Amino acid sequence: MIIEIGHFAVVVAVVLAAMGMATAVLGLQTRNDQWVRVGRLAVTLIFALLTVGMGSLVYSFLARDFSVHYVATTSNSKLPLFYTIAAVWGGHEGSLLLWVFILSAFSTVAVWLHWRTQPALMPYLIAVESLVMFGFLALIVFLSSPFERLFPAPLDGRDLNPLLQDPAMTMHPPMLYMGYVGFSIPFSFAMAALFSGRLGEEWIKLTQRWTIFAWLCLTTGILMGGYWAYYELGWGGYWGWDPVENASFMPWLVGTAFLHSVMVQEKRKMFRVWNLFLIIVTFSLSLIGTFLVRSGVLTSVHTFATDPRRGLYILLFLTIIIGLAFGTLMVRGSELRSRIELDSIVSRESVFLFNNLFFIVAATTVFLGTLYPLMLETWQGSKVTVGPPYYNAVFMPIALGLLFLMGIGPNIPWRKASVESLSKNFRNPLLVGTTCAVLLFLLGIRSPYALAGTLVVGFVATTILAEFGKVTRMYAQRDQVGYFQGFLRAFAANQRRYAGLVTHVGVLVLVVGIIASTIYQTEKVVSLHVGDEFVIGPYRMKLLDIHEVKGPNWIGQEGVFQVFRGERLVTELRPQKRVYTASQTPTTESAIYTINMGHIFLTMPEVSPEGVAVARGVLNPLILWVWGGGAIMGLGVLLNIFRPRTRGE
Amino acid sequence: MMWSRGKKLGLVTSLLLVGGSLGYLALGNFGENLVYFFTPSEVVAFTPDYYHKKVRVGGMVVKGSVKTRPDPVGMTFQLTDGAATIPVTFKGIPPDLFKEGQGAVVEGYWSKAGQFHSNMIMAKHSEDYMPIELRRAGVELPKKDFMKTLRQ
Repeated sequence: MIIEIGHFAVVVAVVLAAMGMATAVLGLQTRNDQWVRVGRLAVTLIFALLTVGMGSLVYSFLARDFSVHYVATTSNSKLPLFYTIAAVWGGHEGSLLLWVFILSAFSTVAVWLHWRTQPALMPYLIAVESLVMFGFLALIVFLSSPFERLFPAPLDGRDLNPLLQDPAMTMHPPMLYMGYVGFSIPFSFAMAALFSGRLGEEWIKLTQRWTIFAWLCLTTGILMGGYWAYYELGWGGYWGWDPVENASFMPWLVGTAFLHSVMVQEKRKMFRVWNLFLIIVTFSLSLIGTFLVRSGVLTSVHTFATDPRRGLYILLFLTIIIGLAFGTLMVRGSELRSRIELDSIVSRESVFLFNNLFFIVAATTVFLGTLYPLMLETWQGSKVTVGPPYYNAVFMPIALGLLFLMGIGPNIPWRKASVESLSKNFRNPLLVGTTCAVLLFLLGIRSPYALAGTLVVGFVATTILAEFGKVTRMYAQRDQVGYFQGFLRAFAANQRRYAGLVTHVGVLVLVVGIIASTIYQTEKVVSLHVGDEFVIGPYRMKLLDIHEVKGPNWIGQEGVFQVFRGERLVTELRPQKRVYTASQTPTTESAIYTINMGHIFLTMPEVSPEGVAVARGVLNPLILWVWGGGAIMGLGVLLNIFRPRTRGE
Repeated sequence: MMWSRGKKLGLVTSLLLVGGSLGYLALGNFGENLVYFFTPSEVVAFTPDYYHKKVRVGGMVVKGSVKTRPDPVGMTFQLTDGAATIPVTFKGIPPDLFKEGQGAVVEGYWSKAGQFHSNMIMAKHSEDYMPIELRRAGVELPKKDFMKTLRQ
């Protein structure tokens, strides 16, 4: 009964979404405010109805109602409560519902938040958001319903994919979707600007916080995916250039380009067409990302769909949205030429231009590598894959270039920089960076990427530290307070800029983590009996015992390893080999010990009936810097979002 | 604040230069980095210019053919598509879902001696596996399912 209420609510929501579009258009044509009010009501009601829909689905999961087809395929009576809730988005149908639920929540917030200040843009916002919601809701109702009943009802469910039974994985899809969907707000405002002809800087200023919030969610989602891959998949890495990872990385790359390049429009009224182009591409890639993962075009852990009609539908929907957006941009583009042009190549404007160029090339690379195999298969029937070596070869130089620009950009003046200011700003940082690289070289580091990375990281870090040092001293002296107080006052005085620099610091930390844990990873695979030991790096691992273990919905074997450094016992590690009983799926659970911000990572992928275990040890130096860097980036974004409003905002 | 010609030229040149070299980086070795997918029947028919080239081969692991060895950790097994069977030498740890009688995709190279050397296996649940000769006999749907189970 409950699930039917949810189903009914979602069906009504489809009608309301159509109504939202219609009333918004009517409001524009008749110039009657009443229609727009009805549109606002429709958007708000969609959110309320989808809350009911989500609620009924969650209820069915908690009540373990296996007569609901979706509940029966993604959960099981023995599934722990926490994962039972997460199982709501553990499959294709529920994920789509979550997607559009988040969209309805964001749309409602956006409509009410900007209603008073932006009455002229509201009909457009309502129309665009309703269109996107309509597309997704119709897909859910007609082709991908999580509300369908199963008859006869099975006694128990098939269980959630064991690989998805992980804390990071429960929050990974919602974060990712909040990122994708978050970009729909700046997208809608951009479309509103295009349709209404109010093509100034207004939509950029309005949506700055939305953009950066969406970016924060997407970044967090991607990092959580990496975190999950690292802890759950047991191969000791966090990024494999899997098409599914790439699908979320593409909108991130263009979104990052966008949130940098809008600053140029804000400050210098340039890049107008370009910024519209970037946000359209970002949101299109968000939709394509959803399409790639949810249509069954790519098949991997994340992909559940098999119905080709779904893929066709999403493709059609994508074409409509993207065609509409780019069509309008082309029609309006001629009115958009900014009259102000670049003063000099050596200026902050041009650094932003190069930043954008790098991000676009990066996104194109990922796009090509992800979609070329699909196109080739469609047209020629031959199957290919594009391997990680390709991406690594392309991304290393791009990343170094972007990092370098990250040091230059914030410290080069707008319009035109003089040679003296350049040498004054950058001589010392370059010196520090070079010194760091030389020191590492003398310490025996020979990898060119590690050395180049160190040089650039040292350079950028010095520019940031120097600036923080300078303003701290300035404020401390001016206000006659201590350095810590001085730092806080300086930070508050220009919070948007310094929050950005904090995010940059996070990027540096992340990059150091990636370089160290990628280039200096040590791996060893051995097979051994109880009592045997093996050596990896400075550590010696001894297998003491293998015994049976049992969890709520799995059984397995656990190896007990003692880790020694010299004769000193460092720790004991207990990797497991599990079999999830409902689905009979085996999984490998890693055991991890943190030391010097790196990891000793141990798995036991196989135990033969004769008691011979295969063990795989991985040393990942500075891996914690990867997650730590991500956390600092997030902190920077939060400081940006919650900065006090300055004049003109 | 008008454009001066030199500035415009300088900007366009430098953008083209950087963009061009990045583009070259992205496209220049794209072709070499493509890994093609074959079936065992296609592999046994390889001409010598395909030897020692990185490829992926999908098929079913023949029941009873898997023999593990301890040092270096790895195993040997037979991979079949119903029409042809190839011997595979694998170094490393197979994924959790690797099992005899199930579909698997191996990445590696085919040697002159008629041996496939691999250090990466991808495996999937494939209850809907259908031998490939059915596809040759004109059964279209199972082929799709077969490919689906093998696709990573």
